[in-house]
Amino acid sequence: MKEAFRQSMAWLHTWAGLIFGWLLFAIFLTGSLSYFRMEITQWMQPEARLEVVDAGTAIGLAQRYLEQQAPKAESWFITLPDARQPAIGIMWVNHDGFVLKRLDPRNGAELPVRDSRGGDFLYRFHFELQMPYPWGRWLASGAAMLMFVALISGIITHKKIFKDFFTFRPRKGQRSWLDGHNAVGVLVLPFHLMITYSSLVIFMSMVMPAGILAGYGDRPQGFFNEVLPVSDAPEAAGQPGTLAPFGPMLEQARQAWNGAEVGQVEVYHPGDRNASVSLLRRSSDGVIYDPGTGLLLQGSSGQVLSATTLGSWPMRIAGGFYGLHMGHFATPILRWLYFFCGLAGTAMIGSGLVIWLGKRQLKHAGTAVLPFELRLVEVLNIAGMAGLVVAVGGFFWANRLLPVALAGRAGWEVNAFFIAWALMLVHAVWRRGRRAWVEQLGLAALLFAGLPLLDALTTDGNPWRYLLRGDWLMLGFDLAFVGCAGLFAWAAWKVRRAGLPKDSTIARRERVRPARTGALEAEMN
Amino acid sequence: MLLALLLCYAGWAGLCLSMDRHFLHVSGRPASARHRLGLRLGGWLLLGASLWAALPGHALGVGLVQWSALLMFSALAWVLLLPYRPRLAVWVAGLGLLASPAVAMVSL
Repeated sequence: MKEAFRQSMAWLHTWAGLIFGWLLFAIFLTGSLSYFRMEITQWMQPEARLEVVDAGTAIGLAQRYLEQQAPKAESWFITLPDARQPAIGIMWVNHDGFVLKRLDPRNGAELPVRDSRGGDFLYRFHFELQMPYPWGRWLASGAAMLMFVALISGIITHKKIFKDFFTFRPRKGQRSWLDGHNAVGVLVLPFHLMITYSSLVIFMSMVMPAGILAGYGDRPQGFFNEVLPVSDAPEAAGQPGTLAPFGPMLEQARQAWNGAEVGQVEVYHPGDRNASVSLLRRSSDGVIYDPGTGLLLQGSSGQVLSATTLGSWPMRIAGGFYGLHMGHFATPILRWLYFFCGLAGTAMIGSGLVIWLGKRQLKHAGTAVLPFELRLVEVLNIAGMAGLVVAVGGFFWANRLLPVALAGRAGWEVNAFFIAWALMLVHAVWRRGRRAWVEQLGLAALLFAGLPLLDALTTDGNPWRYLLRGDWLMLGFDLAFVGCAGLFAWAAWKVRRAGLPKDSTIARRERVRPARTGALEAEMN
Repeated sequence: MLLALLLCYAGWAGLCLSMDRHFLHVSGRPASARHRLGLRLGGWLLLGASLWAALPGHALGVGLVQWSALLMFSALAWVLLLPYRPRLAVWVAGLGLLASPAVAMVSL
């Protein structure tokens, strides 16, 4: 009975993992990169290497700019700068649309940066998959659900979680892949469970709307109005008015919130006598993501109109999952740990896909041609993993190579990502399995190794200057690119070597460490 | 954070080496029952101490998240290093433990 249950779970794990594996690999890889979303955006707009200024200075500059440029707008939105996003973000809404700008925190002028979506593209892709709303979100949520199924069935399938807790036996073919899959799965399991479950919590009103529909019928908006504090901003009076300076208002909010900082400022009917200013708390100062704490002030006087706080415990719990997933609160070291955990998840998914194919390939080891379904999985494995890495590299290259004046430039960067990916798919179909792996990994290594060089050639910076300037972000990117290139080159070399005739590799290994391998073999089997 | 990392890593090392086959792999001889018990107890104590080292200086939530991240990272580091460089893996744990009082002095 117990064994039958385990077997059925193994079946579920195998197939749930396979069907959504490639999609999940892409979601996990781009999601991991999204932990450096703002940093990637900074790298992709190298014209603006900025120092952070304090919120009071920034808000003054933003107010001056908006009063001059958009006095008649319906509303203004100001994102205050912080260390990860040193430019001042502003947006204003007119009756016919919105305008987005980024301001230089030194002088309040518009920043002359290249048109690029930067890290936002990778971030958006990881849950919208470049599909129209809401289909991408549905597909990503479906994948997350299957990921959750695969995780739980995987735990049940794993016979010796504790006995094999620390076990990793390299250089043993399929055995090593399974060990590796289990190691990254089990050791980083808390992260995998958290990230998968929280992704479902983030989209819970979309994937599990039954409760809302039961209570609010055909007016689900009523639920959100009750749960999230709505800004009851006063209507426009139709008479002109002047705004008080925003700087002191920030101070007022800081005092009301025991020193917590303002992250976003929203101004409604800015040129009107009834203008109001809404201050929202910065989301990075605690684990619990808090969209609720805000202060609504009268624009002309700064007098408090209403104050809202994060409400009920269920909201806090949901905010906790949201915050844990996004990691806004993470300091640089923790951000890196988040990133590595994400990569561990990516590696778990990738190794699972490799194992699926490897097991079935063994049966066809003697034959020259794989059956169609195995060849299909092989092609998707290559294009879905190595190809995706090349596509990310292509995205970074496009950012430096596309002319700044090109119309629709940001869109072309994204196109470069997908064109590179599609080319890798064609390449994987065209070339034989192992050769395709080696070539694509090799290409990825070349692309990433070339990025620091490309950056030095196309911008006024280079690693040496970054070091002298103390620009750790740009220097960090150069080092990370070289590290990635090394990793991909190593992977390409490993795949290539594993494909050489067995005798030669075994003979070489025996020469290098005859005694230890023998002892290990005896002990481990 | 460094202190918590060192303690986590050494804790995992202790727990791992309290298992027969890993002890044999590293030292080439089987562990005595007393060795196993000591390593196991030490491992758990060090993991417990790492929590104590990870919490101060942060909000409780942030501290707990950092501790979990360090636990996962150090376990992964140990497991990936062990088969390739078993002696180095143990040396790192030992040196980390030796250095931890100094690190504690600096960070407290």
